[in-house]
Amino acid sequence: MAAENSKQFWKRSAKLPGSIQPVYGAQHPPLDPRLTKNFIKERSKVNAVPLKNKKASSFHEFARNTSDAWDIGDDEEEDFSPPSFQTLNSKVALATAAQVLENHSKLRVKPERSQSTTSDIPANYVIKSSSDAQLSRNSSDSCLRNALHKQQSLPLRPIIPLVARISDQNASGAPPMTVREKTRLEKFRQLLSSHNTDLDELRKCSWPGVPREVRPVTWRLLSGYLPANTERRKPTLQRKREEYFGFIEQYYDSRNEEHHQDTYRQIFERILFIWAIRHPASGYVQGINDLVTPFFVVFLSEHVEEDVENFDVTNLSQDVLRSIEADSFWCMSKLLDGIQDNYTFAQPGIQKKVKALEELVSRIDEQVHNHFRRYEVEYLQFAFRWMNNLLMRELPLRCTIRLWDTYQSEPEGFSHFHLYVCAAFLIKWRKEILDEEDFQGLLMLLQNLPTIHWGNEEIGLLLAEAYRLKYMFADAPNHYRR
Amino acid sequence: MAKQYDVLFRLLLIGDSGVGKTCLLCRFTDNEFHSSHISTIGVDFKMKTIEVDGIKVRIQIWDTAGQERYQTITKQYYRRAQGIFLVYDISSERSYQHIMKWVSDVDEYAPEGVQKILIGNKADEEQKRQVGREQGQQLAKEYGMDFYETSACTNLNIKESFTRLTELVLQAHRKELDGVRTRASKELALAELEEDESRPEGPVNSSKTCWC
Repeated sequence: MAAENSKQFWKRSAKLPGSIQPVYGAQHPPLDPRLTKNFIKERSKVNAVPLKNKKASSFHEFARNTSDAWDIGDDEEEDFSPPSFQTLNSKVALATAAQVLENHSKLRVKPERSQSTTSDIPANYVIKSSSDAQLSRNSSDSCLRNALHKQQSLPLRPIIPLVARISDQNASGAPPMTVREKTRLEKFRQLLSSHNTDLDELRKCSWPGVPREVRPVTWRLLSGYLPANTERRKPTLQRKREEYFGFIEQYYDSRNEEHHQDTYRQIFERILFIWAIRHPASGYVQGINDLVTPFFVVFLSEHVEEDVENFDVTNLSQDVLRSIEADSFWCMSKLLDGIQDNYTFAQPGIQKKVKALEELVSRIDEQVHNHFRRYEVEYLQFAFRWMNNLLMRELPLRCTIRLWDTYQSEPEGFSHFHLYVCAAFLIKWRKEILDEEDFQGLLMLLQNLPTIHWGNEEIGLLLAEAYRLKYMFADAPNHYRR
Repeated sequence: MAKQYDVLFRLLLIGDSGVGKTCLLCRFTDNEFHSSHISTIGVDFKMKTIEVDGIKVRIQIWDTAGQERYQTITKQYYRRAQGIFLVYDISSERSYQHIMKWVSDVDEYAPEGVQKILIGNKADEEQKRQVGREQGQQLAKEYGMDFYETSACTNLNIKESFTRLTELVLQAHRKELDGVRTRASKELALAELEEDESRPEGPVNSSKTCWC
């Protein structure tokens, strides 16, 4: 039943595998939102489509069975929608999809707004003090670079601007707020405003997803950045922000430089630079830059209400911008503290986790495991990036943000639970995997998994499955153990 | 069923971060170019089938992350490569100097007889040039490599360099290839086929050959 449902469900992903994808979070500033914002709006409709009831029921069925982490039960949204609604919806969806495709192909032709080119490492002075030989380049204007700079035509994945997807961030994934969501939001508000926020309770509530409205403060609390005591929050924030800008003054004083600007890129550079010099054992490793993005985007959403998509950070006041930057830095630091061995010499954390993944998969799905062996696919060839970038390159940003709601609520979410999420993620594609019958096909699939349409529902299912795996395997003596 | 290719081999792209390895590859396999830099994490994979000398060659191309931290991972791919692109950026002296280090890694980790080719990428960035063409040529000569200045941006010498390295690998494996070539020209007599198959060390008994 559940298995059958999910099989059907995963079939929806009809996108072909192949080639380089744009990477959410790897590019700053985000890609031109104006070009794709219609796409987003349309998309949310498209998403609301078939199988909804089935999925929802299997998910909730599961949720009920897995007790504690799910106990609030107020995230059951659309169990009651009448069947006719579905047919209507799929028609709408088809029409919308056609429209989206049309819009999208039009957009591809438009010239792009000028955009500072990205490089994922700070400028030259950074290099001196970190061990990385990254060549930072403000790349050029020469030749066709700009003309050819048409991200929109990247294969397979239409680009969706980072910040635009904030609007997709209701806990349920459905734009209009339901009664249940209101209740849920109310519960969060209560928890957050009580004199001493009950963090255990907050984790419990956050596991199935944090409502967009309260996500920034919830994340600050869950990451351990903000104290539970409401009175201490303000002074703590103030102190931490000052501390961060103290580092900047000390190590990265470019404020008086001619080209100083608070662009996305510069903010990210500073954050990464300060982190790198404070963590010499690891230094800056490509991929860490991705991990700043969810924090930055979530904290930005606090200040930019509706129109996050067209937002230019330079419109924010200096103070606001500074607080977003400092908070992103501290929360990212907390996250990295838990997974630092992913980025130290020889990346032992990653090697260990990839091995553990292999071991786990060999137990939970022998067929897939043997299929890999047969075609000589090694886990490292695809799962390295899964671990190094916490699946961020495999998923749309909105999904990463939802995933992090749970990672921050789950004990050792980023360092341990992620492994089970990766296993669940891999198994989701078992049919596609088993259909591929050579090494190349498998690797192309695994390096380009079609998740473009994914939203909260898919992540919810994924997390449920991961939770089930963790539950099963943590208690079984002969099963995978850390 | 028509066979898709006659031989299969692996090429590897190495060089400092940001020199344009991924862009070279994208231009070659998909004829696309994106100027924004999205760092490769670990190793990426692409493939393409080209015809060289009447032989259909399927090449698997492994695109590695240039950053030093990833080298524990990327070095694991050296030993199964038959051809290696060493890439620097003509607008970065530093990336050029590092070629020495990359060559010594190849010597250490790649199999004997691996074919190498030196690439000076971003040839379109003439105003930013830090490494002269003759410097590239000289370095290539020193190591006994072929040399190309390329631009993924303007599509300069991309196909040429990939084809050249493919030819070099084919030449290096000429002996094994003779069987394939004969078959490709469909002049293969049954007797020869039997003889071929009975040859104990003959590696080319199937239509697909892989030297790994």
